Amino acid sequence: MAGRGGGRGRRMMTFSVEAVGITRGDSLPPSIQQPTPLFPVMEQKPLPLTAGEEEEYLLALKQEFRGAMKSLPCFIQPTAAHRDVERYSDKYHSSEQTEALTDWTPDWKRLPKELRVKKPPRGGVSAAVSRSDKLQSGQKKKKVKEKEEVLLKLETLQKKEEGQSSEDEEEEGEEKKKKQEEEEAEGEEEYDEEEFEEETDYVMSYFDNGEEFGGDSDDNMDEAIY
Amino acid sequence: MTAQEVRLCGLLLREHFGEVVEKVGTHLLKGGAQNLRTIIHETGISLDLVKKSLCVLVQHGACVFRSGRKGAGSPTEYQTCCDRILRILRYPRYIYTAKTLYGDTGELIIEELLQRGHMTMSGTIKTVADRLTQNMEEGRSMDYSEVSSAFFRLVETHFLQRCPPLAGAEPKDSATPAAPAPPGTPAAPVSTAPPTPESFPDCYKVPHVTLVGRGKRQLASEDGEDQRNAKKAKMDSQTHGDEGICWQVNFERFHLHFRDQAIISAVANKLDQTSSEIVRTMLRMSEVTTSPTATCTKPLSANEIFRSLPTSYNIPRPILDQYLTLLIDDPMEFVGKAGESGGGMYVVNMHRALANLARATLESVVQERFGSRSARIFRLLLRKRHLEQKQVEDFAMIPAKEAKDMLYTLLSQNLVQLQEIPKTPDYAPSRTFYLYTVNQLPTARMLLQNCYKTVANLVERRLFESKESKRLLEKSQRIEAILASLQASGAEPEQLTEVEEMITAPEKQQLEALRLHINKLDSAENQVDETIFLLESYINSTASTS
Repeated sequence: MAGRGGGRGRRMMTFSVEAVGITRGDSLPPSIQQPTPLFPVMEQKPLPLTAGEEEEYLLALKQEFRGAMKSLPCFIQPTAAHRDVERYSDKYHSSEQTEALTDWTPDWKRLPKELRVKKPPRGGVSAAVSRSDKLQSGQKKKKVKEKEEVLLKLETLQKKEEGQSSEDEEEEGEEKKKKQEEEEAEGEEEYDEEEFEEETDYVMSYFDNGEEFGGDSDDNMDEAIY
Repeated sequence: MTAQEVRLCGLLLREHFGEVVEKVGTHLLKGGAQNLRTIIHETGISLDLVKKSLCVLVQHGACVFRSGRKGAGSPTEYQTCCDRILRILRYPRYIYTAKTLYGDTGELIIEELLQRGHMTMSGTIKTVADRLTQNMEEGRSMDYSEVSSAFFRLVETHFLQRCPPLAGAEPKDSATPAAPAPPGTPAAPVSTAPPTPESFPDCYKVPHVTLVGRGKRQLASEDGEDQRNAKKAKMDSQTHGDEGICWQVNFERFHLHFRDQAIISAVANKLDQTSSEIVRTMLRMSEVTTSPTATCTKPLSANEIFRSLPTSYNIPRPILDQYLTLLIDDPMEFVGKAGESGGGMYVVNMHRALANLARATLESVVQERFGSRSARIFRLLLRKRHLEQKQVEDFAMIPAKEAKDMLYTLLSQNLVQLQEIPKTPDYAPSRTFYLYTVNQLPTARMLLQNCYKTVANLVERRLFESKESKRLLEKSQRIEAILASLQASGAEPEQLTEVEEMITAPEKQQLEALRLHINKLDSAENQVDETIFLLESYINSTASTS
């Protein structure tokens, strides 16, 4: 304790140096002051991989297996993988993927009851009535998951006139509340929204029904008309 | 469940099942048995996605569920084990083995079952027949009966087994009314350990299935399609009498096969081809009589071996005896003598063979990383157990300074340990012996963890390389798709070359280099897995004997 430290204690070690073989006068390797490098230099290069027919076949099997797994319904993705640039064709591709996912029905007898996922209702919707039905059943499904304030809000919103604005608000409200949508519901809601918008090619606010058209030009006759 | 294993399992789950399943799976691995609410709460993933992920994991056997430990009425708990997920590394080897033993049909059956987790027999046969028909020429199709016979043979040799019927949680009968009911699957009380498939008597019983037909080819023609669609709908709605009986791949049987192969090839390398044939015969004869965890096979008399040798090897009886004597005297101790009756009773020593193979692996690792002189010191220490510093230098015939250096390097890498033997009770350094030693089992475990880390690093590097060149890969995929569609619709060569030129030459080089790297990384994963298999078998064999 008192004798440690200082010049005399510089080479003290916990074990007997003679027994391990370090004689006086031997230079010890310098003590390490920092972590070892991340990629230390290798003195011996590793052996090359064995390459033969069997290894190539195994390699091909492995890569094919991986590719096949990606296309199976077991492969679950939270949202469709975004490409580097959004493309027009993405709108049509996303619906293909979601169909593959719902094709798989496991043997429910071998799984506990609580894991059963109810399939949301599907089918093309263009009429307002069927859309409201879908939203109603969609709401029933979401009731289980969401909290009560959202529930009340949805009900009040639903009681309003079923115009486009209320549906947009509902959909926005739903999207805000949940962290992650089911991809089918999302795909269908987006699809419906776009389909609805496609029925009228023009944004509503741009619509000019021509009542003001004649009025302005009559008032200012001194301005040149180009 | 070490950190390396969990990391590797996460990467494997991500590659094969997606990121959601990866999150759920790693959470279960790190946290032990949990119920659904806990998983949702802690991972932050939505309810439906968690449910789907759990379904996928259970389907593939990676996760087991049972009713909660707090008594009846508590929610079901899910538990994952990393062993099953690590098997994914070995899938190509399983498929290849099935191909060598049972041809293309066997290969496809195993591949389908590995992809789906578990499937009914009729489902498997139909899918495989369809796939085989795809690859055959026009006008020919694969009959279901051929695929069925391949399936039977796989079950006979125990490569496939039935999924164990579920016990506890919810009482289920896995047998349907149509199937010949197996004598009452025991409604066992809730057991703490999941039952192994082998504990059920009907593990390898093939149900009687009515399945008549041929594989269907997906044709482009319209009329054929309508007819087939109508027919297909009718076929699919038929029940074939085996609903609820799912089959899965029996990995343990494959592992026994790999182990036998490793022993045979080791004998062939050490001695010669004929000795390896003798050992192969002995192993084949004891396939059904030896349990998987046995230390050695049942004793076989020399007369039996002589009768069972393949006819192409007509060696006379005295030569066989000489070969057997050689095998016994070999220091690797693959074959041992268990008695004198019947011309000599011989056994194959499984556990000792595995231990020797693991030892050879360790020695070669040291040799490749540190040089042949360090390997000499390592082998010396393995042989002589405990040696002092001075004795190491003398026995290894290496100058003192270099021997010290090498010993310290090995010590710092934890391949060699220092054992203190005190002369006095107060462990005074001047009065203590310091002996260097190598313990094979802990060293093997450490190397196994290194292997897991290696494979995880390889996978990560491969993912990184693909991500770097994602744009290039997508572009090349699009161009291939365009080319394929052009060729299908019959385009002139100029159009094809024009499309091909959309990829510039440096891009082609980049793609080529990328492909080469990815192939190398994949191939390296396969080969590290062979080492993993050897070390795992060795460690498991010691666990079962101790």
